[in-house]
Amino acid sequence: MTEINKVIQNKIAIDKLNLFYGKFQALISVSMPVQEKMITALIGPSGCGKSTLLRSLNRMNDLIHGVKITGSVLLDEIDIYNSSLEVAELRKRVGMVFQRPNPFPLSIYENVVYGLRVAGIRNKKESDEIAEKSLRGAWLWDQVKDKLDHPALELPLDQQQRLVIARLLAVQPEVILMDEPCSALDPIATMKIEELMIELKKDYTIVIVTHNMQQASRVSDFTGYMLMGEMIEFNQTKNIFTNPSKKLTEDYISGKYG
Amino acid sequence: MQDNFNQQIENLKINLIKMASLVDEQAEKAFTALETGNVELCRGIKAKELEVNIYDNLIQTQCENILALFQPVAVDLRFIISVMMINNQLERCGDIAVNIAQRVKKTNEHHSLIAETQILEMGKQAREMLKNAIDSFINNNIDLANKVIDSDESVDKFNKQIFKALVLKMQNETQLIEPCAHLIVLTRHIERLADHATNIAENLVFYVNARIIAHKKKFEKWGVSDQTID
Repeated sequence: MTEINKVIQNKIAIDKLNLFYGKFQALISVSMPVQEKMITALIGPSGCGKSTLLRSLNRMNDLIHGVKITGSVLLDEIDIYNSSLEVAELRKRVGMVFQRPNPFPLSIYENVVYGLRVAGIRNKKESDEIAEKSLRGAWLWDQVKDKLDHPALELPLDQQQRLVIARLLAVQPEVILMDEPCSALDPIATMKIEELMIELKKDYTIVIVTHNMQQASRVSDFTGYMLMGEMIEFNQTKNIFTNPSKKLTEDYISGKYG
Repeated sequence: MQDNFNQQIENLKINLIKMASLVDEQAEKAFTALETGNVELCRGIKAKELEVNIYDNLIQTQCENILALFQPVAVDLRFIISVMMINNQLERCGDIAVNIAQRVKKTNEHHSLIAETQILEMGKQAREMLKNAIDSFINNNIDLANKVIDSDESVDKFNKQIFKALVLKMQNETQLIEPCAHLIVLTRHIERLADHATNIAENLVFYVNARIIAHKKKFEKWGVSDQTID
């Protein structure tokens, strides 16, 4: 683990991260690198802590009462928990896509430029340009270019999910966190999001939590297997799925767990 | 789901063992005929080929179905891959047993010539290798598999020595050219059988240890690694 931490130029370095919800310890001394412009997948059974780990990468857990965190998460070598980095600034740099698409009850266009409005950008020409670029980046432009003023919630689910991704791209994040982004989608829509992820990794660093092991093996470069709050094994995805070094990992990926 | 998967894997293994025992029987008959000169033993060998071929197709279909329906990974995936390879190698071994039997029939009148060379020792060793390769797969016995792999070199040596001896024989006793030519082909078949037994053992090592050891000795000899091309 430490070796991988050393060799690779990390976008994020998680080191001995412990997280408590009150007395319950949800993450136990988790260490893991997230390599720049790569897709890192977190897998493991329900309740293993993978979503908690994902949420701790942009301080989403801070919102929960009674959470205590020790250890460090370095984003470009700056500790996101012990520095002057503002949470709003952090979440702009590290955006998140959730399980169910969550567009705002606004038009397609207003959804995409929402982050720009918050950042104070009102210039119509600039907003239009960024909206088009973001929608193209999320492979949605051709489908929506003639109905940008339509309500976002009228879009089919997979297009809603891509709209949410476009909304993220508009604020130019560095890291995109995805919490089971395809679990509400059918196989074809899932495939489109997976292809989009591969395209996005040219410019962005992606961390994805997924219950779908084939999805992890299809799209990710690195995979971490978690169990009961611990990082059991972290390695290149091809190693995890062909020759995992831990018996626990092998049991899980080959369906012998539980 | 898991039970169903385990059942399919179990069925696959049973079929491969059934096929292996047919091939083993073919080899046993061919080598006993070679040793004893009892060509009557050669009769049933060809007939078994059909049954072996049926298993060959059945096993390939089962592997395809398991891959398509269960998408196995890690140790389960290696099992399927090694079964596909071993299936292929066993089928070849069956064919070679048929070929050996044919040459035994053709050289039967020259049993003294066979006795003069080291063909019987070579045959015994190759026969033992096939048997051990099959046993190692049935019992997941890595030590036995390694023993098979180590034996291959000595069979290759026999092959070269016998070839030289037979060429010399042909030069000195021209009336023996035809039987000697048959025996050269026969030793070549035996050598191929030993190669397939070695491959079977290598596939067991791949399944159990997740290591590809094929061509290892050659790589060592040439001072290259199979990691060179990535």
